[in-house]
Amino acid sequence: MSTLVAASAGNVLVWIVWVVAVFSCLGSGIAVITFSNPFYSALALIGNLGSLAVMYLLLSAEFVAAAQVLVYAGAVVVMFLFVIAYVGPRRETPWSGGPSWQTVGAVGAAGALLVEIVVAVGMQANGSLHSDGRVGAAFGTPAWVGRVFLIDHLLAFEITSVVLLIAAVGGVILGSHTRRTA
Amino acid sequence: MLGPDVAWYVAVAAVLFGIGALGVLIRRNTLVVLLSLELMLNAGNLALIALSRHWHNGSGQIFALAVMAVAASEVCVGLGLVVALNRRRLSLDVDTLSELRG
Amino acid sequence: MTGGAWLCLLAPLGGTSLITLCGTRIPRVAAAWIATTSVFVAFGGAVWAFVSLRSQNGHRGEFTTAWTWLESGNFHAGLQLFVDPLSTVMMLIVSGVGGLIVLYSIGYMDGDDEERRYFAYISFFVFSMLLLVEGGNLLLLLAGWGLVGLSSYLLIGFWHERPSAVEAAKKAFVMNAFGDATMALAFFILIAHTHSLSFVSGFGVGLSPTAVNLVALGLLGGAAAKSAQIPLQTWLPDAMEGPTPVSALIHAATMVTAGVYLIARTHFIFEQARTVELIAAGTGALTLLVAGLIALVQVDIKRVIAYSTMSQIGYMFLGAGVGAYSSGMFHLMTHAFFKALLFMTAGLAIHALAGEQDIRNMRGLGRLMPFTKWCFLAGALALVGIPPFSGFFSKDSIVASTAALGTWYGWIFWVCGIAGAFLTGLYTFRLWFLVFPGEPSPFVREHHHKHHGREGAWTMLVPVGVLAVLATVGGWLQWSPQWHPFSDWLEPAARTLAVAAPTNTQEYYTSVATVLAGLAGIAVAWAIYSERKLAIPAAPFWRRTLEHKFWFDELYDAVFYKPTAAFAAALRREFEEPVVLQTGPDLGRTTLETGGFVRRIQTGLLRTYVLFLAAGAAGVVLAFLIAK
Repeated sequence: MSTLVAASAGNVLVWIVWVVAVFSCLGSGIAVITFSNPFYSALALIGNLGSLAVMYLLLSAEFVAAAQVLVYAGAVVVMFLFVIAYVGPRRETPWSGGPSWQTVGAVGAAGALLVEIVVAVGMQANGSLHSDGRVGAAFGTPAWVGRVFLIDHLLAFEITSVVLLIAAVGGVILGSHTRRTA
Repeated sequence: MLGPDVAWYVAVAAVLFGIGALGVLIRRNTLVVLLSLELMLNAGNLALIALSRHWHNGSGQIFALAVMAVAASEVCVGLGLVVALNRRRLSLDVDTLSELRG
Repeated sequence: MTGGAWLCLLAPLGGTSLITLCGTRIPRVAAAWIATTSVFVAFGGAVWAFVSLRSQNGHRGEFTTAWTWLESGNFHAGLQLFVDPLSTVMMLIVSGVGGLIVLYSIGYMDGDDEERRYFAYISFFVFSMLLLVEGGNLLLLLAGWGLVGLSSYLLIGFWHERPSAVEAAKKAFVMNAFGDATMALAFFILIAHTHSLSFVSGFGVGLSPTAVNLVALGLLGGAAAKSAQIPLQTWLPDAMEGPTPVSALIHAATMVTAGVYLIARTHFIFEQARTVELIAAGTGALTLLVAGLIALVQVDIKRVIAYSTMSQIGYMFLGAGVGAYSSGMFHLMTHAFFKALLFMTAGLAIHALAGEQDIRNMRGLGRLMPFTKWCFLAGALALVGIPPFSGFFSKDSIVASTAALGTWYGWIFWVCGIAGAFLTGLYTFRLWFLVFPGEPSPFVREHHHKHHGREGAWTMLVPVGVLAVLATVGGWLQWSPQWHPFSDWLEPAARTLAVAAPTNTQEYYTSVATVLAGLAGIAVAWAIYSERKLAIPAAPFWRRTLEHKFWFDELYDAVFYKPTAAFAAALRREFEEPVVLQTGPDLGRTTLETGGFVRRIQTGLLRTYVLFLAAGAAGVVLAFLIAK
């Protein structure tokens, strides 16, 4: 009895955390695309990434959650902020400019994609996507991820590292001062 | 499993993906377009991790890590382009970069 | 033995390759001597093969296979040579006479712009011909056959800046290709029925009568095209556009005799299709008369000799067709001697007169060129068949074997042969009396020039002398009624049919008749062209007919060329112009209009492209959802 109460109390807590995380995630996502100043957009993205990390934790993906905070919030967004500071503030009104059919079409296409995905998920929700029991304690821990990554998916790991290397070289060349311009 | 079903996570991912797509489609500032792309990638990541949890299969998480690496690469190149555009005194408005006009 | 055969085959190819690879790094004279040496080395190889085959017991022949050349299902064809009495005879003739002709070319082609190319071609020609005669199966023979056609095309068109030479080369090639095609069809039938093309003893036996007749007809088509027999003869006179040594090589020693060789080689098949074999004989008889008649009115010295070649090959076809293969081959050999001699002496005359070929301008040349004159006379007497010159021995036994048949067509062939002998005497000595005796004409006095005080370079005079001797004594090898080593030698390869083996009586009275006919021809020629006692009969229609070569060219023009050209013109008028030429602009305009419409989508705005991308993705997902 006490374990049941404890379990249901834990469940309510999880629900509360989840709802907060979802609202924070979607709110900050909308904020990213509506702020006219890209600097604020980038700050909103940090919030978005953080709330996503919370959801990852709820899904027993501890290592990915940590990586999300470290790599995204810590590195990628900081790089964004640097570049935004470097190019200086440029304002733009988010909902204007370009042909009007472009905006209408954009909303239509994005809406259609959204509806379609929701429909697709909904068709599965009561069937195979119904949740099931617990997972092992090791699921999502760094040691487990490391084993899966370096044993089962070694080739993917190597390819990823090569992609990163190429991107780094590309970034350096694009940003290089000594590059001869036409 | 505590909390909501995996389906709810996937639904959130879908909404986040829609928001990101809308941002890519309607914003004209290159930097904000890149940020919106990040949103879309993260929506994909959320769906991957949710389904990985659902199937008790680690490959989804590995895939999410790979996506992160690709996202980092994309940011690297994208920001490199922004810097290069800026150095050439070109506008960062994607609508002004219309040399492909037929 | 087989070593000699390989040496014989590969030496001229080596010569060609060497000249081609060296290019302009070697002087012209070196190219000439490389070619000459290579052909004489080939002759050495042929002698080697001949001697070792002779020492072999029974000398039935031997195959030598380098490797399997083609393999398809149960059909195998090796890169295979066949050394037997027949092929060694041909090897000796081709490389021996060929070597003399190449040597002669050194003097004749001296100073030509493209001497190296000439010598590369001519060794290649000798190689092709040797491949043809040495090949151990019909497929290799066909390869040699085709290469001979190719190299004759190259040589006839050697002076490619002359449009007439190019035309003649094309004509020769097309006519020969027709024969090649019929031969290839015959081979297909053979492969389908016997799965083999090899010259093993008695190959092609066991075919159904229809199949064997078709095969023989196909082979006859190829032989007639290559040997310029009616109705595929029209290319030969035009082929005189090539350099004179080429004419000697093609029309004397080698290419045109290939048809006779083919019949002798495949006599197993022809004997099963006796009707077709007699058609071959009839073709030969007809050709020898028609060519002899046309030769009467030609005024170009080389063309007269060319028609006489056609006529003599008609004799060979006649002999091989009735079944006297060894007589046909013997005439092939003596003909190679005296015809090469005639072409070469004609070449000396042409050379001395700075390229003039019209016999009406040449009167009295003999006074200035005595050596040429006597050598030509030897060749002419051999051609007419006056004893003891070589033609007498070979031609008479062919005519005698037609008498041996004893049937009505046999006697028609016999009369044709005798009539041909009369015509031969007439046209040959018309040439002789018009060109050599008497006082030199003003044209000759004006244009004649000596080569360093002689009648030609030594490289030209030596082969002429050698061939003059051979043309005189070459026939003594065999006089059928008394001694016949040549026929004995060929017996394992091509035994004369019993029905075509003449008795001694038939030999004798045929010889008397042919010699009398030849002498009569000479006498008439003397009366008309030397003494002018007889007038040339004024028969304008017949004269025109002969000058137009019985209108064969005109006939082919009307039957083949004109309808094809008219059909092509009609296609152009009815299809090309209204359909093809009209749709082009329409297509272009429609494409332009569509493009103009579509280009409006290309706004150049990145966001538009992304929008299309997203819409496309939405569409794809929708399609999946519906499909689900």
